[in-house]
Amino acid sequence: MSPANPIIRVENVSKHFDTVAALSEVDLFVEPGEKVVIIGPSGSGKSTLLRTINRLENITAGSIVVDGFDLYSPHVDINKVRMEVGMVFQSFNLFPHMTVLGNLTIAPIKLKGMTRAEAEAMARRLLEKVGIPDKADVFPVKLSGGQQQRVAIARALAMSPKIMLFDEPTSALDPEMIGEVLDVMAALAREGMTMVVVTHEMGFAREVADRIIFMDGGRIVEEAPPAKFFTAPEHPRTQKFLEQIL
Amino acid sequence: MNENAKRSQDIKPVVIDIGDGAAIPSRGDRGLVSAWKLSFFFAVATLAYLLIFRPTPYVRLIKFLPDGILVTFQVTIFSILLAIVIGLLTGLGRISRNRAINLVASTYVEIVRGVPLLVQLFYIYYALGQFVKVPDMVAAVVAMSFCYGAYMGEVFRAGILSISHGQTEAARSLGFNRWQTMYYVILPQAWRTILPPVGNEFIALLKDTSLVSILAVSDLLRRGREFASESFLYFETYTMVALIYLIITLILSKLVSIMEERLSRHVTR
Repeated sequence: MSPANPIIRVENVSKHFDTVAALSEVDLFVEPGEKVVIIGPSGSGKSTLLRTINRLENITAGSIVVDGFDLYSPHVDINKVRMEVGMVFQSFNLFPHMTVLGNLTIAPIKLKGMTRAEAEAMARRLLEKVGIPDKADVFPVKLSGGQQQRVAIARALAMSPKIMLFDEPTSALDPEMIGEVLDVMAALAREGMTMVVVTHEMGFAREVADRIIFMDGGRIVEEAPPAKFFTAPEHPRTQKFLEQIL
Repeated sequence: MNENAKRSQDIKPVVIDIGDGAAIPSRGDRGLVSAWKLSFFFAVATLAYLLIFRPTPYVRLIKFLPDGILVTFQVTIFSILLAIVIGLLTGLGRISRNRAINLVASTYVEIVRGVPLLVQLFYIYYALGQFVKVPDMVAAVVAMSFCYGAYMGEVFRAGILSISHGQTEAARSLGFNRWQTMYYVILPQAWRTILPPVGNEFIALLKDTSLVSILAVSDLLRRGREFASESFLYFETYTMVALIYLIITLILSKLVSIMEERLSRHVTR
């Protein structure tokens, strides 16, 4: 099934660590504006797959084309591609030596040539959007995990990306903070952002995803819209996984 | 990136401990009586006693030596600055994924570590001096920084590797290239880990500059030797020289410990 105009085109991708296959012959096409949630047991290759989409992870075979850029062509300017692909990490990875505002403005200023005033105005709008406008001038250590992750989302959005990748964005959070981060992500989804999300949050997947992808052993085992995926999974491995977590 | 490289980046040395130079006073020995205070008091009291109760020859000595102190500081400061530059390049080279660069940097470190500093000094001053004539001071600075650059390289390497790999990934994912990531994200953070051992190296370097007195550089020790060979007052001269080195290194080590504390306070904020 190859849709008309995918913004992310992962074709026949494999990745081997020494002799272990992290990814085997994976195909994934994502339409602009589509929300894809990838789930699966740990070690299934879901994070690895996500990280190949901005080339944080190299592949050993296949091809990945993002917004027309062939990521593994020797001529591609990977930094240009990455400016269009925001990424949010499990462990936030905010820059601890900069204030929240500094975290949000450094990339637009240095990479897009924005003036400080422009960048700061935009940063404040983004902080408003993620619900922490009052934290602009504090350092990340002063923030809760949930706040840090929302800053991380805002930092990625500051580059006005076309695609957002989320790598288990709530896995490092205390339970009471998961909601605030998922709310921000859901709002982003409603605005029409193209999103690929690796998560264990089934409620989020059910509500926000257009399509759910289940991975196991480095392969895509099953993909389906959430309604079908959660009620009538076809593959026995999917059924078993869902039984265990639901 | 292969697994090995990844694994080595996950190892985070928390403290860079290069056991050279004067002992840096730590938070622990803050009491009324500490080794630092005792040594400092001893050194200053002895100096004062000698100057007041044995004015000859000590007052003459203390007037004779400052030129040497100045030269010692000059050699130390020029050498440490050059060593920091060499160290940064070496440190970056040592973590480079480029095989050739990595090999050059590692080989340099290996060679410097394997040859005694005094031999390196002779080599650069006399052996290479046969082919290139450079001023004594320049030869001294080049030799010292060539040696200390290697140690400094290890400090930089450890400091850079102490920063979580997630920081690099976050910066790269925003679109920063390797150099921008290093400059805007990694080095400003690594600096805090790097600065205290650099202070340490500075003190060690200052002491090691006494070796350049073998060359024709009139540092503190050489001025002492000049004085002693004229006056034959060996005991008095070298007592004075030792006291001056001791007081300088004690003051510097105190400064480094204050700086260390400031930096750690800045981190916990």
